[in-house]
Amino acid sequence: MERPVLWIHAEALGPANPALQAHPGRPALFVFEPGLLAGDAGPISLQRIVFLYECLLELPVTIRQGDGAEEVLAFAARHRADGVVTSAWVDPQLGEIAAGVAAALPLQVLEPEPFVVLPQPVDLRRFSRYWKLAGPRLRPDRAGTDTFS
Amino acid sequence: MTAPAPLPDPTAPDQPSAAGLAGVPLGWPADSGDLPRRFPGREALVQELAARFPEASGGASPIRGGSKPALAALEALDPVRYAASRNHLDGAVSGLSPYIRHGVVSLAQVRDLVQQRMTAGPEPVSEKLLQELAWRDYWQRLWLRLGDGLWENLEPLKTGHPEAAYAPGLPGDIDEGRTGLACIDAFARELVERGWLHNHARMWLAAYVVHWRRVRWQAGARWFLRHLLDGDPASNNLSWQWVASSFSAKPYVFNRANLERFGAGRHCPGCPAAAACPFEASYEALQAQLFPTPQGEAN
Ligand SMILES: Cc1cc2nc3c(=O)[nH]c(=O)nc-3n(C[C@H](O)[C@H](O)[C@H](O)COP(=O)(O)OP(=O)(O)OC[C@H]3O[C@@H](n4cnc5c(N)ncnc54)[C@H](O)[C@@H]3O)c2cc1C
Repeated sequence: MERPVLWIHAEALGPANPALQAHPGRPALFVFEPGLLAGDAGPISLQRIVFLYECLLELPVTIRQGDGAEEVLAFAARHRADGVVTSAWVDPQLGEIAAGVAAALPLQVLEPEPFVVLPQPVDLRRFSRYWKLAGPRLRPDRAGTDTFS
Repeated sequence: MTAPAPLPDPTAPDQPSAAGLAGVPLGWPADSGDLPRRFPGREALVQELAARFPEASGGASPIRGGSKPALAALEALDPVRYAASRNHLDGAVSGLSPYIRHGVVSLAQVRDLVQQRMTAGPEPVSEKLLQELAWRDYWQRLWLRLGDGLWENLEPLKTGHPEAAYAPGLPGDIDEGRTGLACIDAFARELVERGWLHNHARMWLAAYVVHWRRVRWQAGARWFLRHLLDGDPASNNLSWQWVASSFSAKPYVFNRANLERFGAGRHCPGCPAAAACPFEASYEALQAQLFPTPQGEAN
């Protein structure tokens, strides 16, 4: 990709956003979708919107309201982009937007630094099982013998 | 326990309200339909957003977005004080959740700092804070696996009540903060106005909604998601399921003694319902009253 635009979504509103880090200065966009964040539970409160907006003002991003994929594609067209770069998401709603974008333009998804890398498959039936795997990989050496918690 | 030092206030206004509020400049031209990035002040920002999002209720939280308050909260992290006081409403919890949820700081960044502080002194330090961060990672992994499945019971309820015994919607007195119970009404107000609640308050409020009022956990989860600045279907819904008992071995309940012990003494004095408090009982009595199925030891 020579001339990408960046799609910034609500799981990565910080300066460490991997798309912003990889392509400093490239045009970037954030879209407020009607179902943003709460989906069927929405609409989210003004408190939440103000909070997000204050995060966004700190980042070099154009802010728009509308349908996520449509807005990203229109933004890409305005900037004659040959692709879109974003960061990985967990929310399946964001996955749907990403699929809409990827159907029309190359989409590159950058992974943020993981919290802990675990051998697959991870047993997630209870936190205790997860912690049995994650704990030893997270404890700094010196605290390995912790007995206080 | 030593007297807790005053909590750093990540919500303290860091800009005089008279100063303008301007976003970082963009290196490309604006287009019609772009939302504004410059305001005379926070008040104007709130007014503008209220007009653009007419379906959104409320105003502005005292908690501000952006990396400055996030870094201040990060800087104040103290794994030792955290482990000793985190269950208390005035304990040394971080207030980082809205910033973590929206990636203003990453979980990896917080992990690095916590690990560093855990090894800074000569004494071994509790891993509690590291473990709480791991809860978030755990819930996010479950969300990736379950998708929208986290809106459904992961396991059958263990309360002895059929699903149909639970009301589908949230009763109005709860979200309007007029149940007459000082604690519950204060939590509801804080949820709606501040958009953040201490973990213990979330547990108490959720238990009240699901077990005392017998409302489906999904109704409570939707209410929280609309208001919590850190609102996240994974941490939120799965915690509601943990309280309800569809993702735990037994329902979570609390009593007045528990609330008084961890509630910073804020609620019971002056509560209009103090003489007829629905939480004033032993765990055994509450379980017999709330659930037809005998339950194991609570807490
Ligand atoms: C009914 C209910 C609903 C909840 N809904 C949410 C939600 O929508 N979003 C959310 O982020 N948390 C949720 N939690 C978890 C927890 O209450 C908050 O993460 C925590 O209170 C945030 O405050 P803090 O940042 O001071 O946390 P700290 O105690 O300082 O912990 C540091 C960080 O670790 C993570 N963390 C701590 N405890 C938990 C936990 N139990 N589960 C998941 N992550 C945790 C958070 O990212 C938090 O910021 C919910 C809990 C309950 C009981």
